[in-house]
Amino acid sequence: MGQQAIELRDVWKKRRNKTIGPMNLRLPQGYITALVGQNGAGKSTLLNMLLQLILPDEGEIRWYEETYRGVLPMELRQSIAYVPEMPQPEENFWTPGEAAAFRSHWYPSWDQSYFEELVRKFEVPENARLGKMSKGERRKFELAAALAVKPRLLLLDEPSSGLDPFAWKIMIETLQRYMDEHEATIVISTHIVEEVRRLADYIVLMHQGQLLGMTEKDSLFGSWSEIWVQIEGEQALQELAAELPQALELKLETPGVASFLTQQIYLYEKRIHDLGVKVLKSRSLELDEILSLWTRGHRPVLIDQKRGE
Amino acid sequence: MWIPIQINENSAEPLYHQIETQLRSLIISGAITEGTLLPSIREFAGDLKCSVITVRRVYQDLENEGLLRTRQGTGTFVSHIGTGAMEDYKQETVRKALESAVEAGLSVHCSEEELTRLFTEIVKNKYGKQAERGGS
Repeated sequence: MGQQAIELRDVWKKRRNKTIGPMNLRLPQGYITALVGQNGAGKSTLLNMLLQLILPDEGEIRWYEETYRGVLPMELRQSIAYVPEMPQPEENFWTPGEAAAFRSHWYPSWDQSYFEELVRKFEVPENARLGKMSKGERRKFELAAALAVKPRLLLLDEPSSGLDPFAWKIMIETLQRYMDEHEATIVISTHIVEEVRRLADYIVLMHQGQLLGMTEKDSLFGSWSEIWVQIEGEQALQELAAELPQALELKLETPGVASFLTQQIYLYEKRIHDLGVKVLKSRSLELDEILSLWTRGHRPVLIDQKRGE
Repeated sequence: MWIPIQINENSAEPLYHQIETQLRSLIISGAITEGTLLPSIREFAGDLKCSVITVRRVYQDLENEGLLRTRQGTGTFVSHIGTGAMEDYKQETVRKALESAVEAGLSVHCSEEELTRLFTEIVKNKYGKQAERGGS
């Protein structure tokens, strides 16, 4: 891992009915990190802290390995773009062009021709007021305006909510191309598994105000399997359970067939075989299933990428 | 350009290894020709739904093997593959396949004679069919 774009050290945010923290996190520069977790997990709070829209009660945040007393320097703040979960009402009475003129004043790196190119590509209605647009149209404007800043750090809070599948595809391709052409860092909070698959290099999982961990996306690949085996009956099932203490959700599917979940199936294949149990079928769990197990406390054993050599 | 790589999600083989093996054989078999510009790391990762970390590793490994070269600012290209390398690769591929066939034979206690007879029979059968097709 090279330079860090963002680092959180023991960051806490304490509110009356909810506490978020401790958060320790290092986001490497030049990568896309997906922030996943259920509603209320603390994803938006984390993004807001990276912009100083919310200040932590305890702990330290570092930007590009620097810490700042007080307000972020203007130059750094201008290199960060943000698409919030809800659009800002201040721009509601402006057309995309008027809002662009306002924003370009605050961002010296504003690229007007890139903005216009994106607005055309996304088919944002050019004469409509932002407040009158549909949720998806407004989202497309927000994405175009965030990218037009040519940010070094791009924070996206559920960017695809409201987008139709065509606009979604353009968004994915645009973000990929942007990353190709700029040494940028993206942090994207999302519920869409396909977005994580297509975009993310790293995954950060949050749950109830806790950071459960961060992993390279591909190390989750094949980490959990579901296995169906031939089994005589309840007693044989108990014996199998005793032999495979790591197995989850071991149950009789139909008479004669049991199923269970396990990590690192390649370690247990031989043992299952030696027990004289016949494997009928197996499949690798999907990313969303792996993340949901992780949320429930079953942290994946991260795969050594060297395995198989 | 689109590279026909198929990821097997149910394989125990790590992702980067699957991609590397397939890309290597596409290059050595000549399916992707010398001078071809490969997709950028980010684009390829998006297509394969893996991370840039994995693709970067694959490109680096194949570059070290002399199969790819990267030109700053332009991208990653397929290098010149000597006929020697192609011949080696052909032999290696066939050898590996035969070895696993023989292992399968051993695991079911097939005798040497039996295995040789089966092998000769399959070779005759397949090559005979090919000759027929070629002749008609």
